[in-house]
Amino acid sequence: MSDFVQIAENLAAGNKPRVRELVQLALDQGESAKKILDEGLMKGMGIVGGMMEREEIMIPEVLDVAQFMSHVINEMLKPLLLEGDMNPYGKVVFATVQGDVHDIGKNLVIMMLEGAGFQVIDLGIDVPPETIVESIRENQPNMLGLSALLTTTMPMIKTTIDHVIDSGLRDQIKILVGGAPVDQEFADEVGADGYAPDASSATQLAKSLAN
Amino acid sequence: MSHKGLQGGHYRPLSCEQVESLHAAALSVLEKTGFSYEAGLDETLEMMEEFGMRVDREDSRIYFPREQLMELVSKAPKRVVLYSRDGKNDLYLEDDRVYLGTGGAAIKILDLETGEARHTTLQDLYNLGRLVDQLDNIHFFLRPCIPKDIPEALYDENVFYACLKSTAKHVMAGVNDFDGFHKMMDIASMVAGDLENLKARPFVSVIASFAISPMRLCTHSTRIMLEAVRHQIPVALSCAPMAGVSSPITMAGTLVQTHAEQLAGIAICQMIQPGAAVLYGGIPGRANLWNLGYQGGSVECGMMNAAIHQLADHIKVPNYNSSGLTDAKIPDAQAGWEKAMTTMLAAMGGSNYVHHAAGMLNCMITVAHEQFVIDDEIIGLSCKVLAGIPTDPEHLALDVIDDAARGADFIKS
Ligand code: B1M
Repeated sequence: MSDFVQIAENLAAGNKPRVRELVQLALDQGESAKKILDEGLMKGMGIVGGMMEREEIMIPEVLDVAQFMSHVINEMLKPLLLEGDMNPYGKVVFATVQGDVHDIGKNLVIMMLEGAGFQVIDLGIDVPPETIVESIRENQPNMLGLSALLTTTMPMIKTTIDHVIDSGLRDQIKILVGGAPVDQEFADEVGADGYAPDASSATQLAKSLAN
Repeated sequence: MSHKGLQGGHYRPLSCEQVESLHAAALSVLEKTGFSYEAGLDETLEMMEEFGMRVDREDSRIYFPREQLMELVSKAPKRVVLYSRDGKNDLYLEDDRVYLGTGGAAIKILDLETGEARHTTLQDLYNLGRLVDQLDNIHFFLRPCIPKDIPEALYDENVFYACLKSTAKHVMAGVNDFDGFHKMMDIASMVAGDLENLKARPFVSVIASFAISPMRLCTHSTRIMLEAVRHQIPVALSCAPMAGVSSPITMAGTLVQTHAEQLAGIAICQMIQPGAAVLYGGIPGRANLWNLGYQGGSVECGMMNAAIHQLADHIKVPNYNSSGLTDAKIPDAQAGWEKAMTTMLAAMGGSNYVHHAAGMLNCMITVAHEQFVIDDEIIGLSCKVLAGIPTDPEHLALDVIDDAARGADFIKS
């Protein structure tokens, strides 16, 4: 039996050559790519998420590990994976709402979601409700993430959600909201399914909403 | 005694050669990398082409040839006066003259009764204006918080009204849109008596975040910026890159990018109105690499904000920048040292209009009444340093030494 814990721990510690070796070893021993992904690499990213929350690892290093992991997946595992294996939690359409150009927090949340196994379609900043609705139609995600950093653009979260409702798409997605001025009370008011104050809790919440 | 408008410039983190080389680097960034832009700026792009800038519409990119650029930049006035309503706190922004005051747009306040952070209200804004009006070392009132208790569409007129009603010091704020800008103009004209009086002695000014770092023109704010120029209202051209996220992690790289962004913004304003009163608004910041939060209290921010004044001074445009930021959530020891350090460095650097210097906590999210009072002290002491040590006969005090040495004492003399 392969040592998945070793893969996870070496990934979290950033020992890149060792991770490649261990993944190869596991494949040679006949482990399934899905199991290596779920119990090795994803667990490792989970450890990194925890370290980030406790400020034991800096963001550029988190990004480095996340990028390395996706290289390993693409180069070593992807051909052996089934569609859906890679993104066990499904698809998220993500945007900073219209009128708002703040994206540093959004990008951080997206990075963590991707690391945790979500496929994210990033629509960028200043995104009109119509574009968001269109993207939901086209991509059929199971979740929508909306970020707003200004008190003046918070109402655009509501407008966007109302557009989603009017388009008849509300039932097929969970809606997650966030950004510095946003809080749980506001999230409840506008009928979102969840609110998270930072990237780690957003990832936890997204996972629980996806299940 | 308030020490306002004293000459700083004692702390110059960049040598003359370094200033030259950063300036040259910024010019080459504008020529080679240029600015990207958002949709909706067609007229501005045409105007820029008329002034010799090269617009690549396929790639949505503007390139700035250095000669034409610097020709425009040289039209910006080297001195901008921001008036107070009563004439007691007029700000003569030029050279290394230093003024410090409040900065903008917090959304929470530590409640005076409970000490808990809660949403800010219009009444808070008015109360803070009253407080700042009485704090001698705070030289201007940039609206420090947002009135979260009123509808967003009514922000602009209510913000300016509350500020002008609460203090006679110079009032500055951002506006949400064109309409808000004109409502502000109506109220300020009314206060001034008429529009002409207001234009002659603008006691209000606006901020426009025209650039999204790195090197991108924001349509909405660029249009507000140009509208202010058209109406002869002084405008601070804010751009605030965070080293490590929206500009290079190195201080030099962040300074070059910030300076390039400013040169472009200043040039665009001068196309509309040669001689338009603008403030060089580069605010070099820094990201906290543990969580990407705004790390304005770092010593590097103090250093870079002194350096950016040198770059503004190099092109002879008065500057607007920041000090006194912190990620501390309450007025604690960390807040104290970060504020003292960055405010002292900005003042000693000779920055002309230093905002955020009073009241701010929690990466610009929160303000606190007591923090304004503490920061008033920090600003006063930082300006005291600028006053230097006078050594005229009276201050040499030889008689006093002589008397005391012969048996009199210092306490009575
Ligand atoms: C979907 O689910 C989720 C779940 C969690 C989610 C989520 C979504 N989205 C975020 N989260 C959460 O997770 C993230 C990671 O932990 C966190 O994201 P955050 O984004 O909160 O945190 C980031 C990692 C770091 N934080 C940031 O990146 C934001 C920092 C501050 C300083 C800030 C910045 C950097 C900027 N700004 Co702006 N800016 C401020 C900010 C003050 C602050 N402390 O928030 C704020 C938000 N800005 C403000 C203002 C006023 C403005 N800004 C403006 C512009 C800018 C810059 C372009 C200069 C720059 C943005 C650069 C960029 N590429 O994003 C202008 C508006 C432009 C526009 N139309 O959007 C302008 C209007 C300034 C002007 N006068 O023109 C204030 C808002 C006031 C209000 N009315 O609400 C402000 C609080 C600062 C202040 N006190 O003045 C969580 O919130």
